[in-house]
Amino acid sequence: MFLQQLITGISIGGIYALLATGYSLIYSLLDFSNWAHGEFAMLGAYVAIVFANMVGVPFLIAAVLGVCGAALISFFCEKVVYRHIRSTGAPNMFLMIGAMGMSTIFQQVANLVFTGQYRSFKFKLPVNTIEIAGAYLGVLDLISLVLTAVILVFLMYLINKTKFGLNVRAIACNANAARVLGVRVDRSIASVFLLAGSLAGVAGILYGMKYNVFPTMGNIGLKAFVASVVGGLGSVPGAIVGSLLLGVLETFVSGYISSSLRDFFSFALLIVLLLVKPSGLFGVDVQDKA
Amino acid sequence: MEDLEKRVAELEDRVTMLGYRISVMENRDPVLEMQNVEKHFGGVHAIDNFSVKIEQGQIHGLIGPNGAGKTTIFNNITGIYAPDAGKILFRGYDITGSSPHRVAQLGIGRTFQNIRLFSNLSVMDNVIIASGMDATYNLAEAIFHNKNYRRREQHLQDKAMHLLEIVGLQDKANERASALPYGHQRKLEIARAMALEPKLLLLDEPAAGMNADESMELVDFVQEIRSRFKITILMIEHHMDVVSNLCDYCTVLNFGKTLAVGTPAEVKSNPEVIRAYLGGTE
Amino acid sequence: MIEFFNNINTGICSFLHINSYIQGVVVLLCINIIAILGMAVLTGFTRLFSFGNAGFMAIGAYTAAILIVRHNVNFLIAMIIGAAFAGFIAFLLGSLTLKLKGDYFLITCLGFGECVRVLFNYFKKLTGGSAGFPGIPNYSSMLFAVICAILAFFIAWRFIHSKYGRNLTSIRENELAAEAVGINAFRYKRLSFTFSAVYAGWAGALYAGYMMYIVPTNFALNKSIELITTTVIGGLGSLTGSVLGAMLVTLLPEVFRSLSNYRMLIYGFAVVLIIMFRPNGLYGYKEFSLKRTIAWFKKLFGGKAKAGKEEA
Repeated sequence: MFLQQLITGISIGGIYALLATGYSLIYSLLDFSNWAHGEFAMLGAYVAIVFANMVGVPFLIAAVLGVCGAALISFFCEKVVYRHIRSTGAPNMFLMIGAMGMSTIFQQVANLVFTGQYRSFKFKLPVNTIEIAGAYLGVLDLISLVLTAVILVFLMYLINKTKFGLNVRAIACNANAARVLGVRVDRSIASVFLLAGSLAGVAGILYGMKYNVFPTMGNIGLKAFVASVVGGLGSVPGAIVGSLLLGVLETFVSGYISSSLRDFFSFALLIVLLLVKPSGLFGVDVQDKA
Repeated sequence: MEDLEKRVAELEDRVTMLGYRISVMENRDPVLEMQNVEKHFGGVHAIDNFSVKIEQGQIHGLIGPNGAGKTTIFNNITGIYAPDAGKILFRGYDITGSSPHRVAQLGIGRTFQNIRLFSNLSVMDNVIIASGMDATYNLAEAIFHNKNYRRREQHLQDKAMHLLEIVGLQDKANERASALPYGHQRKLEIARAMALEPKLLLLDEPAAGMNADESMELVDFVQEIRSRFKITILMIEHHMDVVSNLCDYCTVLNFGKTLAVGTPAEVKSNPEVIRAYLGGTE
Repeated sequence: MIEFFNNINTGICSFLHINSYIQGVVVLLCINIIAILGMAVLTGFTRLFSFGNAGFMAIGAYTAAILIVRHNVNFLIAMIIGAAFAGFIAFLLGSLTLKLKGDYFLITCLGFGECVRVLFNYFKKLTGGSAGFPGIPNYSSMLFAVICAILAFFIAWRFIHSKYGRNLTSIRENELAAEAVGINAFRYKRLSFTFSAVYAGWAGALYAGYMMYIVPTNFALNKSIELITTTVIGGLGSLTGSVLGAMLVTLLPEVFRSLSNYRMLIYGFAVVLIIMFRPNGLYGYKEFSLKRTIAWFKKLFGGKAKAGKEEA
């Protein structure tokens, strides 16, 4: 039972992590929380479901198209909305308000186009379970777990070992200095939006496979946001740790205490944690310079 | 009746001013004394064992190349961050590590290197906000606009106008602060700091971005403020001509360390200072 | 007491031929105005964001409802206690969380709002849980709601145009400079947070009397988002703008019934466009003045007349 809960928790945490790293990446570059991020996951899932169920392409191709769709929508948000707001020199809070507006738009559009109905992939998903050490584990959970792990490892590699990652870290440190040193800042930011969007797409499809696809499913973005705050805004490893913690906590609260109190515990944990560690687990405390 | 009240209020103000003057006269402690203050960020010593003593009425200059730790000293005095070691005394009170608003309320006003005005507010409001300590009315009085509220608000208006007249911005009282030209913004920042009725004024590069004529005008202006308000000033400045004309004493910093202390003339002829400024490596 | 107000209300409405549908719309508008005035003080003048104001509305609504239905408290007193209790909770929460920076503060508010909703769902004995809390007397008559809204506006106006409002605005403009002129930013932020929660609680209490039946989902995150949206549309830093925003957001869907499905979509677009092109909102940083509006119209028509002449 315990092991089973733990694995489920980590598998949900993994989905959160795919989204939470996106929040962190964007926050580290632009100092704002991209509220529309959860909606990228929702839209990715819808793109995949349209191709898989209505057009009838094989599931894997539909999934890839879904991921691309999410990435493009994320890219579009940056190109059209966020870049414009940045260029006006408005405070960062306005970026967040803009993102909130985008989130409302996406959710409403999905609601109007696809209706509020719950949809599931027609693709035959592996629903069987296997027994390991007395615990029954869903095959789907395991697949999702492995896939997430591979992607996250790849992401860490990308950020820590490649030229692209170096550019991103440089911009996060000091965008102006990076620009002077020849980093193409706007281009790197756009690439990060593509990357974050595709991760969100994967998360959306995995979530849609496990549960269903519906217009308000973007609200898992909220959980991922919480996870990235727990880990410390702007820290990618922090976001991963925070997500796993949150996923495990949620399954344990649902399993052992009460599923209706699940969200209470997640948010209470968040508030208490921030009171103890005001910048999250891995966050850096920035001092305002006079 | 109204007249009488006004009269009483004026008398009250006078009595408080008198009390304040007496306390200033009696207080023989230096206005600012910093003892062995240290501050480091990570491994970098932003200020290393810094000490200074500024007596009533002096103008003291802090000079040194960029990154020498001048603004860090201001931030330590004004409580933006607490020093890692050492003591800061203001007229004998220990203010080490006090919060910024507390330090301001005690009577230390400051300006900022990169001007920080309340940009979307009127010039007048910028000054009125800074004299908030005179706004002694409570929430209920503010909502019902009783006599005390009206009297206080009138007083704030008059005081702000008076300060604006001194800095020569009385005609711009209703303009937005961000609409002022650069030089006026600097003056407004000083007027705002003066609204606190400070005993010590910290000026962070007041002549930055000014040409020779403007700097000389600034010198006159600061001298006038000093003699009018009997105020003590600590200023960071790069322009040596401003420093020579204004400061009674100055401290030269380099990489957080104190290189020299003395009158501007003494400091200018100090070989170590010359070396630091001319960058000779020998 | 309730009958007293309701009777006068009926009298006035029948005299002015106001039907019950319009009365309902006006009450709803007044409730929104009060909640948004609170939001305007917090977001527009202090530039703090709260995704928890729906939570404070819930606290006000449930407190008032429980006091009236279970303890037979006079509705006026119950409403005041509801609002005050919301403010008290905000004061406590703010004492803890307002030291956090930017987004960290914001997420704790959001978390708080969600916690309130979950707890009201969970404690069924006290609140009726997700089945709702029924049997609230209809005390939010049009007359009473309008009186409340006018009073709320009057208080907020005087609050903002005193040292309190000035100090809050200075924190919005530059917190470091505000501290440097002796303003205790933390205390003023907490004041602003409490003020906005009192208004939210007040609006919530009125809402309970209007709906006569409340459920926790009435006060979900979407309600908070709607409040922020409206405040942004009305203009950050303007009380009259906020009232205008509230009117727009409440009345437009009533006028254009066919558009009601697209309501939130339109708000979403409005917010994005305003933030992109007119970030200070409809009335950013300026209060409505009759003089200026007339001048504006004169300029508009004068300009047109001139243009017309030139064409001719």
